[in-house]
Amino acid sequence: MITDILTGAIRSGTSVMLASQGELISERAGVINLGTEGSMLGGALGGFAVTVWTGNPWLGTLAGGLCGLLISAIHAFLVLTCHANQLATGLTIMFFAMGVTSFFGRGFVSEQIVGFNPVAIPYLSEIPFVGQVLFNHDPLTYLSFLLVPLLWFVLFRSRIGVILRATGEREEVLFANGINPKLVRYAAVLAGGFLAGVGGVQLSVAFTHSWVENMVQGRGVVAVALVIFASWKPIRAMIGAYLFGAAQALQLTVQQAGLPISPFFLFMVPYLLTLAALYIVERRQRSQTPEALSRVFTGTSSG
Amino acid sequence: MKQQAVNAPMLNEPLSFRSRLKPIGIQIAVLIAPFIIFGIFLLFYDVNPIALYGSMLSSTFGDLYGFGEVLIKATPIILTGLAAALPARAGMINVGGEGQLAIGALFATWFAVFYLSSLPAALGIPLMLAAGALGGAVWAGITAFLKVKGNLNETISSLLLNYVAVFTVGFFVHGLLKDPDSFNWPFSPEISSALRLPIVNGTRLHVGIVIAVALVLIVWLVLKKTRMGFRIRVLGSNHLAAERAGFKVSWMQFGVLVAAGALAGIAGMIEIAGIEGRLRPSTGATYGYLGFLAAWMAWNHPLRLTITAFVLGMISVAGNSLEISSGLPSSSVHILMGLVLFFLLGSGRRLKK
Amino acid sequence: MIEEAVQHRSTSYLLQAKGLTKRFGALVANKDIDLDVERGSIHAVLGENGAGKSTLMKMLYGVYEPDEGEVWMDGEAVSLHPPVKARAKGIGMVFQDFRLVPALTVLDNVALAVSEGGWRLKRKQLRERILQVSAKYGLSVNPDAYVWQLDLGQRQRLEIVKVLLVPGTRVIIFDEPTSVLVPQEVEAFLNMLDLLRKDQYGILLITHKINEVLACADQVTVLRSGQITFQASREDGLDGDALIKAMMGVKTLKPVIKQSALVEKEPAAVLQVDNGTITGNHGETVLQHIQLTLRQGEITGVAGISGSGQRELAEVLFGLRQLSSGSLTIGGQEIKGGTRGFMEAGVSFVSEDPLKESVIPGFTILEHMVLDGIPMQAKGTGMDWKTIRAALESSEDARALALADADRRADTLSGGNVQRMVLSRALIRRPKILIISYPSRGLDIGTTHTIQQQLITLAEQGTAILLFSEDLDELFKLSDRLVVLSGKKLLGPYRPSETDTTEIGFRMLKGESA
Repeated sequence: MITDILTGAIRSGTSVMLASQGELISERAGVINLGTEGSMLGGALGGFAVTVWTGNPWLGTLAGGLCGLLISAIHAFLVLTCHANQLATGLTIMFFAMGVTSFFGRGFVSEQIVGFNPVAIPYLSEIPFVGQVLFNHDPLTYLSFLLVPLLWFVLFRSRIGVILRATGEREEVLFANGINPKLVRYAAVLAGGFLAGVGGVQLSVAFTHSWVENMVQGRGVVAVALVIFASWKPIRAMIGAYLFGAAQALQLTVQQAGLPISPFFLFMVPYLLTLAALYIVERRQRSQTPEALSRVFTGTSSG
Repeated sequence: MKQQAVNAPMLNEPLSFRSRLKPIGIQIAVLIAPFIIFGIFLLFYDVNPIALYGSMLSSTFGDLYGFGEVLIKATPIILTGLAAALPARAGMINVGGEGQLAIGALFATWFAVFYLSSLPAALGIPLMLAAGALGGAVWAGITAFLKVKGNLNETISSLLLNYVAVFTVGFFVHGLLKDPDSFNWPFSPEISSALRLPIVNGTRLHVGIVIAVALVLIVWLVLKKTRMGFRIRVLGSNHLAAERAGFKVSWMQFGVLVAAGALAGIAGMIEIAGIEGRLRPSTGATYGYLGFLAAWMAWNHPLRLTITAFVLGMISVAGNSLEISSGLPSSSVHILMGLVLFFLLGSGRRLKK
Repeated sequence: MIEEAVQHRSTSYLLQAKGLTKRFGALVANKDIDLDVERGSIHAVLGENGAGKSTLMKMLYGVYEPDEGEVWMDGEAVSLHPPVKARAKGIGMVFQDFRLVPALTVLDNVALAVSEGGWRLKRKQLRERILQVSAKYGLSVNPDAYVWQLDLGQRQRLEIVKVLLVPGTRVIIFDEPTSVLVPQEVEAFLNMLDLLRKDQYGILLITHKINEVLACADQVTVLRSGQITFQASREDGLDGDALIKAMMGVKTLKPVIKQSALVEKEPAAVLQVDNGTITGNHGETVLQHIQLTLRQGEITGVAGISGSGQRELAEVLFGLRQLSSGSLTIGGQEIKGGTRGFMEAGVSFVSEDPLKESVIPGFTILEHMVLDGIPMQAKGTGMDWKTIRAALESSEDARALALADADRRADTLSGGNVQRMVLSRALIRRPKILIISYPSRGLDIGTTHTIQQQLITLAEQGTAILLFSEDLDELFKLSDRLVVLSGKKLLGPYRPSETDTTEIGFRMLKGESA
């Protein structure tokens, strides 16, 4: 049963994990994007649709990522070029994406796809316990395993990372060094949108193999919360996402075991868990918030 | 920073001049552009946009019934809008109107079904309203507690709690509050007819709009005229200054959030007592978000909020006619609404203040 | 022979400004400025605040484009705007408000500025280069420290390292570099300038301190009201009096007069901190074993290198932060109820950065007055603005400080007027205790004098004042006692009459062991 929950944690946590890594990039550059929810929705539908049309889930992944990127481009434009309020814009995008995806998604509700399926890695998956938990997943999940250390390396061991982190702290320093922080932010938001889109694809093409209206169900919001929980560190965001996944996996396990717990209570658990985790962490470390972000939170942002 | 302040008076002169002429043009463009884009979108689906906009207009302003429908939609948007605007004036972002409304509706229904069913209207309705306010306040209280005690950003927590609220309502309408005669459909028993809000003849319009407008006036007066309102505005403009003036910032934040929750909770009560008569899992869905956006469009000004809420209410009603007259799903109206808001967001900042 | 000499001279010029003029609207910030920077020499630009030094430097660093005139380098007119171009031409600048990211390490900050090597970060190589340069010029910079951990002197040294590590730097502009340094650090800084000069850098030193100019400059240019009033080189002989005259013009200021208090009897103690400990935002100990007594009618000055716990101490004394151990009493009573309690006990606070911490955009001066100033007169549930306005208009303090009109919006005020506003507000309350941080920071001499005079008057009326300042002269001029924050301790009190700036400076740097 523990194996089931852990495997399920990864399976259902991966979409959130991908989105949270994307949001982490964006927030490190000083832009909070609640539209991540919308990017995930767009990615889920776009990826699903292209997979239906072409039968190729990889093309679907690419398309889904691009849908996520396009939606985040709206956010980037409004926030960075028009200086609109970040939180209000993100919410509007969330709302807009719900409308757009339910409109264009009507025809896909009953479609069936093959999509991505778990591929057991030879030998590794035969290791007892660990093999089952880690090495029997869909290809997108394997890619997401690689993403985390890669993102860590880029953030903390490359010049791009230094520039990105500096953008989220003091943009005037970048100006002084001849780097345009706006461009950095654009790139970060778009990259974040792409990853959120891929997260959406994982949800529809690899995890549920179906499209349901508004299927993301707040996972994008959770991804945003997890980034804060993780103090803007990729590995901690990953752990947070799997925790969320585990809480969801618990639902299935409990239902299968026939325990008399209301499913609605179980539905709540992942969100409550996210809140509780945030509460515990936030009590201690406020000072780590990137400066540009804390200006957004306190409403003193210039953009 | 210092330099900016020095320059400010110089910059102010041309701005105030421009701000008289330029915005009129911009505002008109901003209002029309989304309809043009949406119209182009409609053409792809073989729908004549002009005819459609015409039917949208006539369905909302054409007769008393349609106009009543708009006001019915605007009522909860006004209240959830206040639930966003009031905290915004204190420097906080409450996106939890959705959940606060749902829990308000839950409390109101619970009390109406179990305790108030035999009371006359004059007593029952105010009590039911108080129950709704209590529900919203409790729900916002969670956000407020997390903020004050745990330093947890209220935007994130109120947003997450929206999902929890939906499941909470689901839990009750599938269980403790399920109508025994519902053939297993998830909804509550109907509240007693004495508890239903009075209705204007020939429409579905109920007195909820009066309650909403009264609350708008109260919030506006409190903010503008009272010492408490003054303190709230200080806090919202510069929380460091508020701290340095000896304000009990945590308590103020807590109080404002809870009051906001109560306002959204009243919206939930009005939905039950005015329209639905019973609680369903989807009661009041999206009103919380619409309220937030209405508040944002009104720059968190209570009086302006009534106008923006009315506009959003109109588009919502028009969405239904869209479905009937063109066969497009009603969700497409969200696209139109999103477009309107995008244009406002894109242009808004410059017009502010 | 002569031609050869001319040839030689012109090649030794790294940079020549010819007739630079810059206007901002009707204001002429710089007019017709000529200035040369030679290889291996220090050119000082001297002037008071507002004389146009910063504008000139910003033109030379490419922040502004000159409206008229040219800058010549390597025998041709060059365009320096934007600063990227200036840097590519070998011009580096050490700003007064440093261009650093506090949340990043020293190494990361250097990596931001030194952009060679593509997307990869050669950390090992970079660390070595930082250590190498900092050893060569005695800068002692630790590559792995976070910038928020550094004091201002260290931050300045980091800025210098950044500039030196940019390949091709030939001209270094220093903007008021010694304003953040204590006397001993100033000495080390001047030594470093000398090393840079020996290594053939051309140095442009902006300052308003004549002593420094006399100590190190090879050439000097004096600016007043945006124009050159004096230019000389060391060979011509530099004369302090001539420089002062060129700087100040024929302007006389009434000196700030402080009667030296009679020290026969100690005035009553109003506020006492006993064995206090203060913990900072990162959980670190900021100050410990604090013994501090504020006395009626006395000004207690607080000296210390910036970032030694001034902000935290001030916040503790106004209830914005709590002592993590020890006791704080006012009139023998512990204060409860946070800031409100302190206000009720008669404490007023003028914070370090009033623009950020006290100004409410969109509110008028009158509306600011009821926040820790004139009491909020009730009128029903509302506010009795008429009475409040009358109280403000009849206030002598506001008049003495030449407070702007009560209906002006505070966010349209200049820095000086904001300072006048927060100070009027604090004075109107007739506080028993006034905690005031950096009252003259960034203000012109006239306003500074008014404010200093006002503080003395307030003390004479019996207020106990705790004055934080980074200007040792100001502290000596105003204080009855001085304390020093250094090495997580509060040292003193010392009597200004029994000590001098050198000793205080030494304590600021080295702490008690001095």
